[in-house]
Amino acid sequence: MNGGAPPGGDDPGPLVRPFAVTRGRAGKDLRRLDILTLVMAARTDTEAAGLDREYRDILRLCQHRALSIAEIAAHMNLLLAAVKVLVSDLIDAGYLIQRPPRPAAARPDIKLLQAVLDGVRKL
Amino acid sequence: MYASYNYRSPDLGGAQAVKLLIAGGFGVGKTTLVGAISEIRPLRTEERLSEIGAGIDDLTGVAAKTTTTVALDFGRITINPEIVLYLFGTPGQDRFWFMWKELSAGALGAVVLADTRRLGDCFGAVDFFESRSIPFIVAVNCFDGADIYDEDEVRQALDLDPHVPVQLCDARDRGSSKQVLVRLLEYLMATATGNVPARRW
Repeated sequence: MNGGAPPGGDDPGPLVRPFAVTRGRAGKDLRRLDILTLVMAARTDTEAAGLDREYRDILRLCQHRALSIAEIAAHMNLLLAAVKVLVSDLIDAGYLIQRPPRPAAARPDIKLLQAVLDGVRKL
Repeated sequence: MYASYNYRSPDLGGAQAVKLLIAGGFGVGKTTLVGAISEIRPLRTEERLSEIGAGIDDLTGVAAKTTTTVALDFGRITINPEIVLYLFGTPGQDRFWFMWKELSAGALGAVVLADTRRLGDCFGAVDFFESRSIPFIVAVNCFDGADIYDEDEVRQALDLDPHVPVQLCDARDRGSSKQVLVRLLEYLMATATGNVPARRW
């Protein structure tokens, strides 16, 4: 996963590189990650020092807190499809852990609904 | 032994993300409502239509424009240490949002935000949720100067089933927006426990 731009001066910037990084793989992992899949860093910033910038940025965002794919995409100003590929790489390499949302076909969970209702009432 | 207490292994434990959808016509105040109640300033994320519409046949003309993206604004409410609630609004290219299957899949329910001056703008959203058996309520955003209709008039105009709640609101107001979510969640509870004639359950 370190096959991105060479180190040094020719950095094409954050908008170009993720697509260079993900080129040719943009369809592979899209179904595995949902926009609401939560991810959290399993390693520290320092351990990620050798990675490309976008990977490090994602890990920095997810240190000590769970963020959804949608939030990461918004914070990094990247399309969801690109973020899914990058996050997939980080999960495969053990840098991130993930938790998928409840299955779409799942029956409504009364306890869950009650907890959400209680939480909203307290706002 | 002591060291093991200091080592904090990352753990997502019981963490769970759930979502509600805020739909309705263009400019009706969806993002305003999300912003009124969210703990963060609403975030925007975008996806290419070609990604969203994969598998849909009638997109031929649209998919050719590879630069077309569809935007979603969303907010976040931390319910408790384990549950995070996301509110997804659908700004911008409203005519495309329904193609985002991933967005509606797994949603607990939806709010259809309506403007009484343009009630017809939310027919599409009402149809979408009815046809997919996603439970929803209608919230009427009472703009300044807008005619105030009562719930029954709105229900009739939108041809809603009698059990679908209709709530008047001011999307700019935090308390009012909160009340919309409370009404929706109460309705979802009633639906899930069989106290409302549901289509899906």
